[in-house]
Amino acid sequence: MSAPVAPTSRALHSSPYQALPLAKKAGTYFLLGLASFVVLFPLLFAFSLAVQGATVAPTLLPDLSKLDLSVFAQAFSKEKHLGRWILNSFVVSVAVTLGQLLTSALAAYALANLRFPAKPFFFFAFLGPLMIPWESTIIPNYLTITAWGWKDTYQGLIVPFLASGFGIFLLRQYFLTIPRELYEAAVIDGCGRTRYLWSVLLPLSRPALGTLAVYAFLNTWNQYYWPLLVTDSTEWRTTQVGIAVFRSSEIAVYNLQMAATLIVLFPTLLLLILGQRQLVRGLTEGALKG
Amino acid sequence: MSALDDPQNHAARFSGAVETPVDSPTEAVLYRLGSPAQAVARRRNRRWQDFGWALLYMSPALALFLAFTYVPFMRSILLSFYVTTPTGAPSRFNAVNYYARILNLDGSGRDEYLKSILTTVEFSLMVVPLSMITSLALAVLATARVKAIGVFRTIFTSSVAISVASAGVIWSLMYAPNVKVTRWLVNLLQLQPDSLLNNASTALAAVAFMTVWTSLGFNFIIILAGLQAIPQELYESGRIDGTNGWTAFRYVSLPLLTPTLMFLCIISTIQCFQAFTQFHVLIGNAGPDNATNVMVYALFTAFWKDNRYGFASAIAVVLFVILLALTILQYRVLDRRVHYQ
Repeated sequence: MSAPVAPTSRALHSSPYQALPLAKKAGTYFLLGLASFVVLFPLLFAFSLAVQGATVAPTLLPDLSKLDLSVFAQAFSKEKHLGRWILNSFVVSVAVTLGQLLTSALAAYALANLRFPAKPFFFFAFLGPLMIPWESTIIPNYLTITAWGWKDTYQGLIVPFLASGFGIFLLRQYFLTIPRELYEAAVIDGCGRTRYLWSVLLPLSRPALGTLAVYAFLNTWNQYYWPLLVTDSTEWRTTQVGIAVFRSSEIAVYNLQMAATLIVLFPTLLLLILGQRQLVRGLTEGALKG
Repeated sequence: MSALDDPQNHAARFSGAVETPVDSPTEAVLYRLGSPAQAVARRRNRRWQDFGWALLYMSPALALFLAFTYVPFMRSILLSFYVTTPTGAPSRFNAVNYYARILNLDGSGRDEYLKSILTTVEFSLMVVPLSMITSLALAVLATARVKAIGVFRTIFTSSVAISVASAGVIWSLMYAPNVKVTRWLVNLLQLQPDSLLNNASTALAAVAFMTVWTSLGFNFIIILAGLQAIPQELYESGRIDGTNGWTAFRYVSLPLLTPTLMFLCIISTIQCFQAFTQFHVLIGNAGPDNATNVMVYALFTAFWKDNRYGFASAIAVVLFVILLALTILQYRVLDRRVHYQ
């Protein structure tokens, strides 16, 4: 849990520990606790509403004597498609993650290791998508997907996101840190280009691949706009669109709404706790290196 | 024709080792490598081979970008000059009329799209400063050298893992008037007793407040990384000069953090201009008196509800131009940041 947020934080901890005066320490913990409470308040609120049974006038704190934890099971029986939505989101997120890892690794390898004519042109061709916001391509993309009959299919949800400009530049940056002599030595020893990528470069680049994987999974899981457009029938919804639809259909049943939302949040919160280091690296690299 | 291709010279072909007319092993290697001209030719050959492989490796990503970014983007620009059929095919050339309509240059005096741009700006102005100040405070708190600080850091990061859609569902109930705590708060602040989201004067602020919460995690991560990149020696030498607590923050941390904060400011503004989910989940229409009709929502209405693909494309192009300007600004700031370090 206490994963260092950045490599420098380790240095910060290893520096001679200065014991704070007790009062100051207590004050720091008080502020940290207060800030945590404020940050977590919406989640605590959601949990509190979920477990206090069906009521039209929920209170902030549930009646502790009659907590209703069965609501999480009820959410699945009340909304028959909740399981299917979670499955859809998993299939789409895993496929997009694997696809982005593959397409980004291949393109980044070409940009980082191979020497070929017109490289700057290709470099900018990959940089372009970082400049073009998704919103300004969404209409033609929607028309294309509709024309191909890909509405309400997995490919409609997956294929447009299989390549990522961010992923390509993240991996290219990492590949460039691996000494080029390694590549030249391997090639002289008769190692093919593809084999070098597969059996030397990728195993050495696990940290960057992990970063991209966590980042891609989280972003795909949390998508809303595109799944809203390309799914019509209830069973093809993904979790994010699903819970928003569920909310409007069960508008007065607060506990079920909150239970369904918490169920949908669970995988990404788990991912945050397990993959925090990768995620933090991904976000800072994505933001700071462009 | 080389000796190896000469059928008369089978000896050279099958003798196992090609005779080299030199003695030392080094010279033998040099002989095999050939003349400089041959070496250049080989290198060029390798370059073309590399080119072939590079094209192969890049082709999946290139094809996907072409199909789902470049071509659609060109098509968006094209569509924006046409009146379209309900299925999205261009039917009548419309020149720049849609753009004139959006920017209220057509003399009709209907300025709802200009207002929509202004609403988006207003939304950004509400979200960005509040989010930056709150995340900065959290990041400074998270540098405290106490035990279990990692747990608190995870908590402060948590909102990056919370999707805007689920946050929207949670906050829609936090804003619901029949939740007792909300009613109490509304009375305390003397706001309108009906839902905050149904009131033109509070709706945009309510969505902005929720957006601040969802953006905290990301901003926290970036600012904390920025704070941790400041060398400890600077604080130590500052301490000798008598800085502590607030003054150390004011005269050491803040100046060194300014580029990060500026950069973050621009990214956050870009994200605000792209905001859609929270408006769709919390409001679900243009809002009371169009109070929350931000650009992406106006685009969505034109495209999804009215099927006016040409007009919606024109909004998309205007959005692109605004975001491009912000992106260029972002890279400028980033460049300067790199130079400072």
